[in-house]
Amino acid sequence: MFASFIDSVKYVGHLIPVAFLRIFLGYYYLQQALLKFNGDFLARPRLAAQIADILPSLSSPEWYKILVERLVIQHWQGFAFIILGVEFTIAFSYLLGYVVRPVAIMGVVVSLNYLILLGSNTDDLYRTFIAVHLMMAWIGAGRCLGFDYYFFKRRRGLWW
Amino acid sequence: MKHFLTFVALVFFGLFLALFVRRNQNPENDSRPTLRIYAASSFIKQWGPGPWLKEKFESTCDCVVEYHDAADSVSLIQRVKSEPKNKSVDLVLGFDQYDLEMAQVGLDWKNVKVDPQQFEEPVRPLLSRTSFTPYDWGVLAFIGHRNADKSLPSNTDDLLAPEYASNISLQDPRTSSTGLQFLLWLIQVKGEEKAFEYLQKFNSQVKAWGANWSLAYGLFQKDQVKLTFSYVTSPVASLKENPQSDIVALPFAEGHPVQYEFLGIPSTCLNCDLAEKFVTLMLSHDGQRVIMDKNYMFPVIKSVTKGTMFEAIPEFKTIDMTVIPNQAERERILKKWSQVRRSE
Repeated sequence: MFASFIDSVKYVGHLIPVAFLRIFLGYYYLQQALLKFNGDFLARPRLAAQIADILPSLSSPEWYKILVERLVIQHWQGFAFIILGVEFTIAFSYLLGYVVRPVAIMGVVVSLNYLILLGSNTDDLYRTFIAVHLMMAWIGAGRCLGFDYYFFKRRRGLWW
Repeated sequence: MKHFLTFVALVFFGLFLALFVRRNQNPENDSRPTLRIYAASSFIKQWGPGPWLKEKFESTCDCVVEYHDAADSVSLIQRVKSEPKNKSVDLVLGFDQYDLEMAQVGLDWKNVKVDPQQFEEPVRPLLSRTSFTPYDWGVLAFIGHRNADKSLPSNTDDLLAPEYASNISLQDPRTSSTGLQFLLWLIQVKGEEKAFEYLQKFNSQVKAWGANWSLAYGLFQKDQVKLTFSYVTSPVASLKENPQSDIVALPFAEGHPVQYEFLGIPSTCLNCDLAEKFVTLMLSHDGQRVIMDKNYMFPVIKSVTKGTMFEAIPEFKTIDMTVIPNQAERERILKKWSQVRRSE
């Protein structure tokens, strides 16, 4: 498995720039997740407050607002844990190049929700993230400098 | 699929384990009771009255005061409702008269006992609501720069003068209570139909409808507009920063709207006695003085302004805005306001 990790450079070396972008993004997500883990993200309803602030002025469909108000704000602690878990998942997956494709789709979903809920200040950032995650999923960015190459070589399929 | 699910499960399990270990390593060794207060950011921040009140209260109560902030009263209520029962909120500060109806939906509040005789005359009628107690109040007005050559606007029609075209900043009534006050005031003094006719003309005078008070006031401070809607106490704040300040609040013939800020103790409070003691501190002479000096709002308790810059603020004719439109009515008005803005 480790040999194929290095082998991937030989066979899919043209993906090295994408692998670099993937690892950089993984590092970014790891930093964000650690900041939240060491801070009071799980102890204080900061995200719920931020969402509650922006909710009345959202132009999203009514069902989405109701869902956010009744589910996310009410059960903010559970959602904070899920968000933190998802960020760690994206971080480890991108750093290791393992199950990058499905995790990138997860990244798209998270970024899409952030884009809707966190207001116009961070619009550009999350639009860019969505595009990058989509590229990761499309290319299968874990195949270069990643463990996905090992499984791709043996099993093929959409997951790698 | 199996790999993906196992990987996600492993990460979540690892996170759960890490949180569990951290929790066991850092037991909260402070056994003192905690008074949990929810308040607007402007109250809690370094420049607000919150830090002084916290320090003063902690020095006598053998307890810990914990502030939790929210950007505005709507998010304040949302957050109080979303708190788990074992972390109940003990005191909530920062509702205005328009939030009280919303605050009572789904939440019960304790009666707060106060001595009405201590309170200023304009505030006393508000004490009939025993669940919410006012702790400061302010009169809203247009603010401009003193100008020796030209007369300043003295009624709403003067604001339509060509020199103020695109030169006024206001707050968006959908997101700001000050903005809502402006809109409801206009409706009260002109009647709904005429108020919206007026707004159609007035829209071209407005450079920006800021999402909150500080955004709108910021434009005025940066001289990007000539007038803004703020508090009659704003010139005092400006004078404190700059003794040469020429900012004045403009008295309008129509009268002025008044904003009251209320506090409430939820019936689910865990440290209710401490909350009541904190309220007593807030309504004491010293507490009121600090709130007045830091929040630039009028105190509700008598004779606190004596010998301060607030004493010199001229009396503004206020209008009785105690008839408060209900939530549905407000939504209808705001919808109408949005339509007027869209039709610009």
